[in-house]
Amino acid sequence: MQSYLHDESVPSADSPRELLTTVGELTRRVRVAQRGTWFPLLAFAVITLVAIPVERYAPQLGPCRPGPEEGTTVCVASVASTAVYWPIALMLAYAAIAAFYVRQSRQRGLGTPIRPYVVVGVVLAVLLAGASLWLAYHPLAPFSAAPSEFTPTMHAVSFLVSPLTVIGLALLVLAWVERHWALLAYTAVYLSIALVQGSQVIESSSRWFFLPYLLVPAAVLLLGSAAFALFRPAGEAQPR
Amino acid sequence: MTEHPANGLDDVVHQRVRLGIMAIAHQARQVEFGFLRTTLQLTAGNLGQHLTVLEKAELIQIEKGYEGKRPRTWVTLTPAGQTALRAEIAHLKQLIQQVEQAETTGDR
Repeated sequence: MQSYLHDESVPSADSPRELLTTVGELTRRVRVAQRGTWFPLLAFAVITLVAIPVERYAPQLGPCRPGPEEGTTVCVASVASTAVYWPIALMLAYAAIAAFYVRQSRQRGLGTPIRPYVVVGVVLAVLLAGASLWLAYHPLAPFSAAPSEFTPTMHAVSFLVSPLTVIGLALLVLAWVERHWALLAYTAVYLSIALVQGSQVIESSSRWFFLPYLLVPAAVLLLGSAAFALFRPAGEAQPR
Repeated sequence: MTEHPANGLDDVVHQRVRLGIMAIAHQARQVEFGFLRTTLQLTAGNLGQHLTVLEKAELIQIEKGYEGKRPRTWVTLTPAGQTALRAEIAHLKQLIQQVEQAETTGDR
């Protein structure tokens, strides 16, 4: 690691400007050393992939009605997934992320700023569970409504009460905590993909119709995790 | 007449290494002796001396302990240290501003 005390590019005289530059440079180095961006992205990719069998095989707990065709059922949403699986999975992910940052903090000899991120993440997960249950029994649109009849407000609420959005919002907090511009840009792309996907309606009789909704974000998270692990600057924690 | 910002500088804090220690401890909340030594490229004795000065001025708190069999020394900025760091940075910014104003006036 380069020392600011022996850095020839920094004059030895302690002028106010040089001292402030030194403070800024040291602060930047500490922030970089505190980062571990690849791990939260990996944790979220894993829980998104695990959500696939949950979505497919978990029992439908919410209200359902007989569909237009004989033997079919129309349900509001997969309540078992959004109100039960996702909050629990998100809590477990945040526990793993907190443990990872604490371990990294001990190894590197630096405190971790991760607490606000974990707190916001857990609060969002609890809100997700509550909002999902509320919407299951107080749907925005009637059962008979076609997707084309959904208003922009309905789309907006669906977007906000989505586990993928909850992950994205928590990543925004992580970008702020880590003062990480690359993560901020990545999160903007991730949320844009979630927004575009959320507004698409897949009409299919297959019970696997939801796959793109989960596979695409999982792939984006995995790629992000790999990219942040591979292209991390010197001084940032190494994946072990 | 307003006081010149240079008069507000604290001799304990207005030193490159000690200011560096405080800046790192402020950002990290808690920092280990080894990280400070590596980042600032100081000898253990030299760093220890600066830490003693800051501790005596009650600007940092030093905790010693063990992680497994390995001795560890953790440094935390005290509330007085936080205030002193903020004041030092504010004074440095004021000094720069005054120098820039003087240069602008002198150019005319």
